[in-house]
Amino acid sequence: MLLYAIARQSFRRHLTYRAAAAAGLLTNFFFGIVRVAVLTALYDGRPEAAGITLPAAITFTALSQAVIGPLAAFSWFDVMRSVHSGEIAGDLLRPMGYLTYWLAHDFGRALTQFLLRGVPMLIGYVLLFPWIAPAGTHFVWPQGGAMWAATGVCAVLAWLISFGWRFLSNLSAFWSPDARGIIRFVFSLSWFASGFLFPLRYFPDWLQRLCALTPFAYTVNAITEVYLGLQQGGDVVRLLAIQAAWAAALLAAGALVLRAGVRRLVILGG
Amino acid sequence: MTHHPSAAEAPRTGPVIERPPLAPLIDVRDLAKHFTMRRRPPVRAVDGVTFRVAPGELVGYLGPNGAGKSTTLKMLTGLLVPTSGHITVAGRIPWRERRAHVATIGAVFGQRTSLWWDLPVIESFDLLRYIYRIPAERYRANLDTFRDLLDLDAFLQTPVRSLSLGQRMRADFAAAMLHDPTVLFLDEPTIGLDVVAKERVRRFVRHLNAERGTTVLLTTHDLADVERLCHRVLIIDGGRLLYDGNLAELQRRFGGRRELVIDLAEDVTDIGGDGSANRLDDPRFAVPGADVIARDGPRITYAFDRDATTAADLIARVTQRLRVVDLALKEPDIETTVRRIYEERLLDGA
Repeated sequence: MLLYAIARQSFRRHLTYRAAAAAGLLTNFFFGIVRVAVLTALYDGRPEAAGITLPAAITFTALSQAVIGPLAAFSWFDVMRSVHSGEIAGDLLRPMGYLTYWLAHDFGRALTQFLLRGVPMLIGYVLLFPWIAPAGTHFVWPQGGAMWAATGVCAVLAWLISFGWRFLSNLSAFWSPDARGIIRFVFSLSWFASGFLFPLRYFPDWLQRLCALTPFAYTVNAITEVYLGLQQGGDVVRLLAIQAAWAAALLAAGALVLRAGVRRLVILGG
Repeated sequence: MTHHPSAAEAPRTGPVIERPPLAPLIDVRDLAKHFTMRRRPPVRAVDGVTFRVAPGELVGYLGPNGAGKSTTLKMLTGLLVPTSGHITVAGRIPWRERRAHVATIGAVFGQRTSLWWDLPVIESFDLLRYIYRIPAERYRANLDTFRDLLDLDAFLQTPVRSLSLGQRMRADFAAAMLHDPTVLFLDEPTIGLDVVAKERVRRFVRHLNAERGTTVLLTTHDLADVERLCHRVLIIDGGRLLYDGNLAELQRRFGGRRELVIDLAEDVTDIGGDGSANRLDDPRFAVPGADVIARDGPRITYAFDRDATTAADLIARVTQRLRVVDLALKEPDIETTVRRIYEERLLDGA
């Protein structure tokens, strides 16, 4: 009930920043078009690369641009700011878990971003597809109800994982006044290893395996794999299970590190 | 240690009523917090503080900047873990049982809001209703009371970021009290407010203490807050508790001398034989039990100790000797008293 209330408030709060969402949407949209142009050039008339057809690759671009908002893929310093400014004191003065509070808050944020940026992004690409894709090809959708459902579950788990590592990296603020640098570094790793820039399938084997060791691979890349149907049947279930394990592990780690951080918390001021 | 079992008593006006001692709501013993910094000696922000606060008391916690007030308050609210010593509030160790503890306390920090910056006030309240699991009818009743007492209606729908400081403080006060906390911790609650807003906040605190029996611990630099609200004050400096007692006693012990200002019927400015003007020891104005401390034309200012002579006696003596057209009695104010205590370290070793 409390989580619902926090998420609902967060949702409404983020809804008030519609202009910012629109600006973000527009930027992501045009940058996505540039990415499509680059991909098309790289395909150079080939029907597919690493099992991904060009229309699927263009759909991937739409997807990865659509999750920038919901997964806060570019930056997220909220918890760091709360620690550095001492606002965390106000939150600790309330009978609620700090992690669960931020989890609910981020869920509301992600949902707003999904509706204000994610959905319009996909619609934009569908409408523009005839102009940016080879003639006679179509925007790719998940095949059948089961894959739609799997994509939905996969996306929620991806959000949980994304929250997990964002929260964890933000907690470095307890130990470092320069946490921003650390968080930026983690984010830049994620762009690469999450399959946000390119589907991980494009990478050489050894690099794919390296990326698969990180939680990042189970965010954007997992969504791409399930949505485009690159994994089927049991493999999808296995993928979702690994996602769930990563989400649980990251949240548990977040709770542990948070406890250590709160213990050493010193809020400045006489 | 002297403290009064109830804030409802007025130590100035009546005898202290003996009551069975109540179990302390706040129990602090030998509390210390040392901050260690690299390559520097540790800062002893709080260094062996002991006090108790009984249920229903309204206590002022005073001290200059950096005295250790906020650090104490952070330990009492569970935000800081003490380096050593004992601390319980309502039987709980704040930092160890943080969530259970904070559910029963309220806190207002004048320097920062605890409300959500971009939410309308009423939605912040609504969120608090869930966070503290406030029963619906209790929430309604409290909200109605506070809307009335704090005049919230005009800005309930306004986002916190657009409120004036006075409005924000009122909203913060309501937010801190919605869940009926037994203890309220106030850190500089009137800082930056205008006179009217300050008075409104004080009235509200008095109401909480008198009507709801809320125990209040208040840090402030505005001694008018203390004078209007608190019977008992704690004074801390350098991390140590220097005084624990009632305000009247503090004033009696450390208050400066009282002053009597008289205006004579004529200008008595004169030049002495040695060329000095307005000599303070001019025998014409000498009165036993008081000293002339200033002369300005027809105006003469005497200072006297409240123990040595009464104001009535002094006035009688002066008017007998001199043709006085007007007079005024000036009490040393608490502001001056406390400033003297800080500056002259009057309480050192006390």
